Amino acid sequence: MEKAIQKEAPSLAYAIDIGMIDLKNAEFYMTTGGFTGLKYSGQDYNRITLRRAFPIGNPMEYISVADKDNKEIGMIRSLSDLSEKQYSIVLTELEKRYYSPTVYEVKSVKDKLGYVYMELLIGRDDSKYKKNCALKDVSKNIRMLDDDRLIITDVDGNRYIIQSLSGLDKKSFKRLEPYLF
Amino acid sequence: METHIPEYMLSAFAAEGIDTSKLIYATHTDSADKDWYSDVYIAVSSDNMYILYGEEKVVKTTGARRIVAVYDAKELEIHPLPELGELTCERLLSTARLCSGKDDKTSILLVFSIGYLSDIERLIKVIQNIREGKKPLGDILIDEELFCPKCGTRYPEPERKLCPKCMDKVSITRRLIGFFVHYRSKVAVIFLAMLAGSVFSMISPLIGTKFFFDEVLIEGGSYYGAILQAVCLIFIVRAIGVALNIFYSYVLAKTVPWIVQDLKLKIFEAMQRLSVGFYTSKRTGSLMNRINQDANNIYWFFVDGLPYVIVNVFTFTGVIILMCMLNIKLALICLLVLPITIIFFRILWSVFRHFHHKNWVYNSQLNSMLSDSVNGQRVIKAFAREDAEAKRFAEVGAKQAVVDIHAMNTSSTAFPLIYLFMFLGQVIITGIGGNMVLEGEITLGTLLTFIAYLSMLYGPLEFMSWVSNWWARCVDSAQRVFEIIDAKPDIAEPDEPVILDRIRGNIELKGVKFEYDPATPVLKGLDLSVMAGQMLGIVGKTGAGKSTMANLIARLYDVDEGSITIDGVNVKQLSLTQLRQSIGIVSQDIYLFIGTIADNIRYARPKASIEDVIKAAKAASAHEFIMALPDAYETKVGAGGQDLSGGEKQRLSIARTILQDPDILILDEATAAMDTETEASIQKALYDLQRDRTTIAIAHRLSTLRDADSLAVISDGKVVESGTHKELMQKKGEYHKLYTIQLEGLKVINMDA
Repeated sequence: MEKAIQKEAPSLAYAIDIGMIDLKNAEFYMTTGGFTGLKYSGQDYNRITLRRAFPIGNPMEYISVADKDNKEIGMIRSLSDLSEKQYSIVLTELEKRYYSPTVYEVKSVKDKLGYVYMELLIGRDDSKYKKNCALKDVSKNIRMLDDDRLIITDVDGNRYIIQSLSGLDKKSFKRLEPYLF
Repeated sequence: METHIPEYMLSAFAAEGIDTSKLIYATHTDSADKDWYSDVYIAVSSDNMYILYGEEKVVKTTGARRIVAVYDAKELEIHPLPELGELTCERLLSTARLCSGKDDKTSILLVFSIGYLSDIERLIKVIQNIREGKKPLGDILIDEELFCPKCGTRYPEPERKLCPKCMDKVSITRRLIGFFVHYRSKVAVIFLAMLAGSVFSMISPLIGTKFFFDEVLIEGGSYYGAILQAVCLIFIVRAIGVALNIFYSYVLAKTVPWIVQDLKLKIFEAMQRLSVGFYTSKRTGSLMNRINQDANNIYWFFVDGLPYVIVNVFTFTGVIILMCMLNIKLALICLLVLPITIIFFRILWSVFRHFHHKNWVYNSQLNSMLSDSVNGQRVIKAFAREDAEAKRFAEVGAKQAVVDIHAMNTSSTAFPLIYLFMFLGQVIITGIGGNMVLEGEITLGTLLTFIAYLSMLYGPLEFMSWVSNWWARCVDSAQRVFEIIDAKPDIAEPDEPVILDRIRGNIELKGVKFEYDPATPVLKGLDLSVMAGQMLGIVGKTGAGKSTMANLIARLYDVDEGSITIDGVNVKQLSLTQLRQSIGIVSQDIYLFIGTIADNIRYARPKASIEDVIKAAKAASAHEFIMALPDAYETKVGAGGQDLSGGEKQRLSIARTILQDPDILILDEATAAMDTETEASIQKALYDLQRDRTTIAIAHRLSTLRDADSLAVISDGKVVESGTHKELMQKKGEYHKLYTIQLEGLKVINMDA
């Protein structure tokens, strides 16, 4: 079976157009109400939604841009293709949607009756704070993003990210270890 | 006026110069769109909404309360209520935003973590009440009920009111022991036999060593030379001890299986009570593990572990008392060694518990993968992914093996070291005791009895070293089992259920909102009604929420907001049994139980006659294919039974519903898996079935809905269009678009819509 004929993966490009946005003709802007808008192909979309196609593995590429009725206008292949100003607007909007504070320390993990209670030290480098959260169904809500990153989703839907498991202190890692799949 | 402002927020707003006497309601949230993390306090008065950004800090002070929380305010926004316009919450992914205004004039006031969504929605309701001149907190649920009154921990599921933090091991063990209450007389016999057996074991060294050496073998002893009598006595004492052990083991083996049977039954019954949501949130492997492995863990602990725990604890205490009576000095030296041994055991206990938990997690993962692989064999083979699946299985298996290796390594190193330590204690006692014999302080018989008791003392400790691990496994298993037993079903029978004489079938959905997972709403305020005896066709794209709506009407889930009424009564007030018996669902998701075809057809009416079963099968166009099977209606289906096609299974499912004869019929893509010819014959059966009963038909193929009295188009969780086929075609909206697309598609393959 291992030696099965390896065919080159066929390309679907001839049949399907992803609908990449022509960034030369696109202008992202902030509305006075605080929303993100887009001027593209002669149209002004004053409230757009940005979503990552691969929020875990590839968060900076393949960003879907939809209008306020959720109809896709097109996709951005890579955020790096945007100008500095445009990049900042798009990234700010994405960060609001995918807000996940970084976990710096796992202070305690208690497993009671199938629920896992965690006390986490989260936040940003310059502002850290303690957060108590409860998790249900850990196999689904503690998820390895890759070999070293981990995302935790609590019962309320809040998400916390561990940027580097190997960078965690020994005690924190030991507390989390039984739940890593 | 009733207000709700926590004390700590009052002082924070007062410090900003706000007249707190005018405040009505305040809530705490955070902000996800500032450069720094901020604790946000929002308060409302009858005129303004105040948003205060800042940071809560814990500060050390002197005095009785050595740490206090202080609020470091950074920004204050004041929004006059009349200028705010309509307030709404918009969910993003892990955040939501509070917006004000309408359409193009909407602006974002705050972006916050999704966990605070219900708090902010409550705030919006308060503001609405203020604007409408109602009591501001009239229908607002203040959230004391969301937190455990004992420890203040937020309930993971508020409706369960079960605080996992306050549930400890002792109470779990106590509950497990509670299962023995029904068998109390047998348990009392077992307990007494055990204790009597232990007493005989304990007096055995006194007779076999001290009495024999000091009274029989030594000149001047009370029974000097009476060797035969002494040997007989030693044997009788031992034999009575063994007989008592055999007796209690016999009674125990006859009792515990029934206790475990009770436990398994309780789990199974609890699982039947639980709502569908519970099953979708747990992996099947994990559930199977719970019922089988966990109940078995508990079984073996109670058969093999607990009796010896009782015996050993009793023996341990008795031996210490006897040792103190023999010689207090030697007994005290012994007792010095014990605490160190206990500490070693405690460390080992926690290490093994850790290993066991990891092992359980991997095992459960392997079981899930196994069931995944068994159910998905066709797909695996079709995509030639056998090797990839085996690799995936091997990866988890390897992780489990590593955990096992660690556990075994720990065990094989730690235990011999502990035994060596225990032996060292024995050597010291022998040395000191020998010296005491030479000095005439104690007799040889006393020393030998002491050494015999010492080994009896270390025996229970040695036992505890592995039984602690075993107990840990049992408690771990019991903890998971009780989770199922304690879980309160999301869908519960009302305290005083309404039972209608007859369900006519007027159904009304008002502002129904529902989500399976937090922050991913499926229905977003759905309004719909269908008159008794009429047929309503539901049209919409995949994922629009059509099947969810059917599940909500049958109360497989409860609405988050809004209401569903049948004949004017909210489904939450209707008797669940009457509701479910009155609703027949033919869905795309068909499940056949292990049993014959006839058994499956008469699932809703087990007492239905053979003739009724055949009639139902004929009406569902299933009779023909059933008769073609060698065992016809007695063909075994379900796991391991006859393999039926999707269309055949669907016809059996229709026959099952025909036999149920429900007042309300929900057809959720009922004919989706059938060829056109079969579909046509089924349509006739369904048409007969629908006559005079309320029918909700969900279909992709719009041709099947042409005869519906009315149609509703659902898109993005809402009804976007409704009316008859004719009206909607004239309207040239969403329905017209879908119909035309399908018609065009069918023309290409020369079919008629």
